[in-house]
Amino acid sequence: MKQPVSLCVAALVSFGFLGAISQAQTLTGNGAARSLAKPEPVEYLYPEQINVPAGKPADIVLHFRIAEGLHINSHNPKDEFLIPTVFSIPDNNGVHLDAADYPAGVDFTLPMDPNTKLSVYTGEFAIHARIVAPAGNHLVQAKLHFQACDRNVCLPPKTIPVAIDVIGK
Amino acid sequence: MKRNTLVLFVVLFILATFAWAGWANFEYRKQAAERALAAVSRAELEPDPNGGAPQFVTPLKGKPAPPFVLEDLSGKKVSLASFKGKAVLINFWATWCGPCKIETPWLVELRNQYASQGFEIIGISTEGDDLQKSDHAGWEKDKGAIGKFVQQMKVPYPMLIDGDSISKPYGGLDELPTSYFLDRKGTVVAAQLGLTSKEDIESNIKKSLGAGK
Repeated sequence: MKQPVSLCVAALVSFGFLGAISQAQTLTGNGAARSLAKPEPVEYLYPEQINVPAGKPADIVLHFRIAEGLHINSHNPKDEFLIPTVFSIPDNNGVHLDAADYPAGVDFTLPMDPNTKLSVYTGEFAIHARIVAPAGNHLVQAKLHFQACDRNVCLPPKTIPVAIDVIGK
Repeated sequence: MKRNTLVLFVVLFILATFAWAGWANFEYRKQAAERALAAVSRAELEPDPNGGAPQFVTPLKGKPAPPFVLEDLSGKKVSLASFKGKAVLINFWATWCGPCKIETPWLVELRNQYASQGFEIIGISTEGDDLQKSDHAGWEKDKGAIGKFVQQMKVPYPMLIDGDSISKPYGGLDELPTSYFLDRKGTVVAAQLGLTSKEDIESNIKKSLGAGK
């Protein structure tokens, strides 16, 4: 009697695994979904891990890259309707963002509107942040909120994750 | 006893695996349905075979424009169906969109020029900034920004909000500005993606006025 029970369990395990694996393949291997995906307008480059003195303010430099042909508004766009680039750290993981120092924007003019100057970032840029972290290892899920355009179209505002492993010593 | 515990553990594991597989299947089907809907109506810029400027091609061309009912800035519900009999330009835009700001004065001029022939523009704001329905303060701020823009630009046509809620049937609206031109029967006769020129817009308005008479 014990052997049939074992066989049944083994069969169920195999069936469950096969089902799960087939689902995982369906979720990750969809060619149509990949073909529709567009490159991210902004990519976080580095650092992935930093060591800081525990409980004391520490300066870190975060590097980002904007996709070719696109620009994003600087932290201080010249038009009140435009969305500024903002870096933030959620309060829930023990690491506190004390201050963020953004690079100055570059003047940019749309060919159809030569009289209006925008303040934007293009290519690579870096944000200098001052953080305070308690002792220990903290996986910080910081965020960068921005809005990107090229010369003719704008993409919706977006928030990307900025994952940093902060080690307070 | 040990064997029973092991069997129980294995059975629980199998049940959890089935539950996960079921959830994954549901998520996949939901995402696939959303992708299919957006892909079916997604518009693309395609090269002109004659070597001219790239042409904006939409699968909605020749089809009835997807119906919608949205609120204007005063909270009044406005339906696309209420414009039947008019040639209509549906202009999706956003306050944060620089190219939209450049084309708005052209739209205002063209609307005033062709209104007497039965032409109307419906402006639809698509803020796209993850604004939740429950975020009343966020919506009020959004409406305030749209109202200020409308006032500054002296926009004479209806301005509706929450275009994001109808983005899928209109191709996802991943890029702004996006405009659809409808004839008097409500059929899409042309579309434009991004900033082109006043002449291009006028040419498409003439198509919408001429077709479906």
